[in-house]
Amino acid sequence: MTKTVIELRQVSLTLGHGASRVHVLKGIDLDISAGEATGIVGPSGSGKSTLLMVIAGLESVDAGTVRIAGEALNGRSEDDIAAFRGRNIGIVFQSFHLIPNMTALENVAVPLELAGHADPFGVAAAELAAVGLKDRVTHYPGELSGGEQQRVAIARALAPEPKILIADEPTGNLDQATGRQIADLLFAKAQERAMTLLLVTHDPALAGRCARQVAMRSGRVEPAPAAQAVSA
Amino acid sequence: MNAAQTFRLAFNFSLREMRGGLSGFLIFLACIALGVAAIGGVNSVARAITTGVASEGQVLLGGDIRFELVHRQASDEERAFMASFGDVAESAGMRSMARLPDGSDQTLVEVKAVGDRYPLFGALETTPPLDNGALFAESDGVFGAAAPPLLFDRLGLETGDRLKLGNATFELRAVIDSEPDLVSDGFGFAPRLMVSLDGIAASGLMQRGSLVEIAYKLRLPAGSSEADIARIAERARAEFPEAGWSIRSRANAAPALSSNIERFSQFLTLVGLTALVVGGVGVANAVRAYLDGKRSVIASLKSLGASGGFVFALYLVQILMIAMIGIAVGLVLAAAMPFLAGAALSSVLPVPSEAAIYWDALAVAALFGFLVTLAFALLPLGRARAVPATALFREAGFESSGLPAPLYVAAALAIVGLLAMLAIWFSDDRRIATIFVGATIASFIVLRLVGHLVQWLARRSPRLRSTALRLAVGNIHRPGALTPSVVLALGLGLTLLVTLALIDGNLRNQITGNLPERAPNFFFVDIQNAEVDAFADLVGKESGGGHLMKVPMLRGRIMELNGVDVQKVEVPPEGRWVLRGDRGVTYSETVPENASLAAGEWWSADYAGEPLVSFAAEEGGELGLAIGDTITVNVLGRNITARIANFRAVEWESLSINFVMVFSPNTFAGAPHSWLATLTATDATADDEARILNAVTRAFPAVTTVRVKDALEIVNRLVAQLATAIRAAAAVALIASVLVLSGALAAGNRARIHDAVVLKTLGATRGTLMTAFSLEYGLIGLATAVFALAAGSVAAWYVVAQIMALPVTFMPEIAVTTILLALVLTIGFGLVGTWRVLGHKAAPVLRNL
Repeated sequence: MTKTVIELRQVSLTLGHGASRVHVLKGIDLDISAGEATGIVGPSGSGKSTLLMVIAGLESVDAGTVRIAGEALNGRSEDDIAAFRGRNIGIVFQSFHLIPNMTALENVAVPLELAGHADPFGVAAAELAAVGLKDRVTHYPGELSGGEQQRVAIARALAPEPKILIADEPTGNLDQATGRQIADLLFAKAQERAMTLLLVTHDPALAGRCARQVAMRSGRVEPAPAAQAVSA
Repeated sequence: MNAAQTFRLAFNFSLREMRGGLSGFLIFLACIALGVAAIGGVNSVARAITTGVASEGQVLLGGDIRFELVHRQASDEERAFMASFGDVAESAGMRSMARLPDGSDQTLVEVKAVGDRYPLFGALETTPPLDNGALFAESDGVFGAAAPPLLFDRLGLETGDRLKLGNATFELRAVIDSEPDLVSDGFGFAPRLMVSLDGIAASGLMQRGSLVEIAYKLRLPAGSSEADIARIAERARAEFPEAGWSIRSRANAAPALSSNIERFSQFLTLVGLTALVVGGVGVANAVRAYLDGKRSVIASLKSLGASGGFVFALYLVQILMIAMIGIAVGLVLAAAMPFLAGAALSSVLPVPSEAAIYWDALAVAALFGFLVTLAFALLPLGRARAVPATALFREAGFESSGLPAPLYVAAALAIVGLLAMLAIWFSDDRRIATIFVGATIASFIVLRLVGHLVQWLARRSPRLRSTALRLAVGNIHRPGALTPSVVLALGLGLTLLVTLALIDGNLRNQITGNLPERAPNFFFVDIQNAEVDAFADLVGKESGGGHLMKVPMLRGRIMELNGVDVQKVEVPPEGRWVLRGDRGVTYSETVPENASLAAGEWWSADYAGEPLVSFAAEEGGELGLAIGDTITVNVLGRNITARIANFRAVEWESLSINFVMVFSPNTFAGAPHSWLATLTATDATADDEARILNAVTRAFPAVTTVRVKDALEIVNRLVAQLATAIRAAAAVALIASVLVLSGALAAGNRARIHDAVVLKTLGATRGTLMTAFSLEYGLIGLATAVFALAAGSVAAWYVVAQIMALPVTFMPEIAVTTILLALVLTIGFGLVGTWRVLGHKAAPVLRNL
């Protein structure tokens, strides 16, 4: 039996204050198995990105339980969760979010250095080579193309060998061809390392490459078959 | 990761992050460098002067040790005692009138009579260069004399001309270029006239009871230490307890000057600290802007596993590294100041300054710079620590506002407290320092409130018809408005400027306006007992109805309070002058004019019991004295102990004859003394005054006449010199204000490009926007100026009315200048940036929206 690596039970979350309060997640139940590639789809404002944040431990929930890689995140301190995230979760953003004054190599080494790794730059160099950027290690983000920046971001997310790889619209800021290459890279690496891949996307083609799709609407997981939700 | 590893990693990350350069930190760097340079520079220059005084102590004092007596020469026993230690050089100093032989003109002079051995150290430089014999010796009944150019100018004399002093005639044989021990004789009101001891003896001015100071300067064998000097002083006090001499060592050659320089430099340090605090606002703005730009980096780091503590450490290290650069620049400037100021100061101060690097002065400045940076950077750093990693997903809605975690607020407050404590601790006059620090903190808080009040008023203003005005009012209160920064930065600098300008203006008004109207026209000193009636007749006739007030006067030193040596009595700084040096004392049968009984009872006219004394109430309070306490005063080489019978309220500012101590007449029965008189002739013209002065000098050549207007003119010049230094210091605070202001406006302009472009696309003309921005800056500047005027007026009122006890007048020209300055600065700096904002092409901005 495959092991459940992401387990959400009756998760609810409200954001904002006063009149601007929004009930973003409404009693979400979700199980994702280890090594599974899951696409989260749905219209804007349906709560997709918030669900990712909850799974990444970036947002604490108002109600319900969140268990990631066998550990409950509820009630843990921000710093404790940050360290947990450093070990277990890699994140790839739509806007890359590389640190502008650090080279590609240094960017990839950051999570390793933060985790006290013995050889952060050796591993970072290997990861950059693995995403095809062997010749770009000393370049700053501003000197790289969008696709190259996203490759650095993927190398950075992969470097600490996390159990879960989360990607928020990873191809959203890229042209179609580059987006396809990045998607190939993501899926290849996740499969190669048996990582659980969780991605949020508006792109039906990208979602279609996932083994499983979770559709969201108005803060709830749609009961309808995922494929229908995506194609709708 | 432990703390050391965290900091090491934070340091490595900081170096990477700072590759982008320091462009956003120029205002930060300038503010810190300016404040540190001001504090370090002022203290270094002060140290250069006091060190110069100390290292040239022998020359400035005229000996290794100096014994000074008032009214009398040393006895044979006292002379023998002094001579047993080394060479003794005697000199006498007094104020007197030098007049032309034909009596047509006269002037007040500071006479210094010296013996053959003068000077023991250093050299008296004259033109032509002559030795003491050639300078001062008698020839055909005429003695020699030397004087600085000022006396030659004042009486229209040339070398070889003659003048009279008392009954003797002197020939001016040389011009004094440099007098080595000038500074140890205290502040000179009039030009020097240097003669020989024989010459002054022949003048007949040195009578028992005359106001003459006799100094004996000793040259000790080479290699004598400070301890040797201290032992001699101790023996002198023990063996001659009634001598009443003031003893000074070469280490303390010019105590009044040194202490004034120290006090002044401490005041300027406080002003410099204000500049640094104003600059702190710039630091906070720069740090906030920098960290706002780093929000996505912070969020990225957090999403990659960084703790909040690591984020805080990372940016703390960066801010401190940048602060170190600012501090280093400030310290280099400060270290250079003694070298640069030496030449400028030599024309103002009669003492050498020893240019060197004064590490302790620089360390204090660096410490203040470091603490101010920390105090102002902690809150933005605390807010940065709280930036959530979710900021990466939701760009909007994470404005860095509000207070960070209580720990950071508490730490920032603790550092502000530490800064305040250090500022007070480093100051000699803790009371003034406490008031200054308190006022600065209060201004800071009130200015923040004023900023909020202005925004609150703008929010609640009715809907205005004018588009430009409506835009301006909207800009004042919208989120991220410039109002709080501009009000705070400009307000502190302007308030300090208004305060100092009003104090200076009021003081000058008093000296040049009010005081001369109320003060007497003349002071007459050294009127001998035998001639006092004839003197009164003459002055009565010449002044035609002026009011002549005359009192007996002696000089005395307070030796003991309630039997305790005054050197061992703890006295607050404001009361120390009473115990320092000689005081004029008098006796009276009745309560003197210009004073009223505050406590106790006056003695009867025929009182004959133990000596009684009436003490000035305020000064008595400062010394902790009560009715029934005893005071021992040394007068004419005799210690007299009197009991305090009452306290008097004295109006010192009236410039009339006032004494701290008035004794019962029996105390000085039979003691030789002279009289002091004042003449108040309210209608007297300058010609009348000249006539009275000439008549008195002709008839009573030994009487010293001081024209009050001349004395006030000298004080006015001194105040002007001090005011220049104070204005320079205040200017530093204002420069810091302007730096912060320009930084805040520049930051605001970046945000404003977006608004301007959108408004332009919606049809707003450049003129409308210009008017709107001008109105916005003008309204903020006006509000700040009004506050600065109000706060500055209150502070100036406190200093002038409460501390100096002088009447206060509001000065509209300062109000107008302040408002204009505020408007010019805000509108000027604002529009310079805005012009560029308005010039932006819409398309590139719109593409990035």
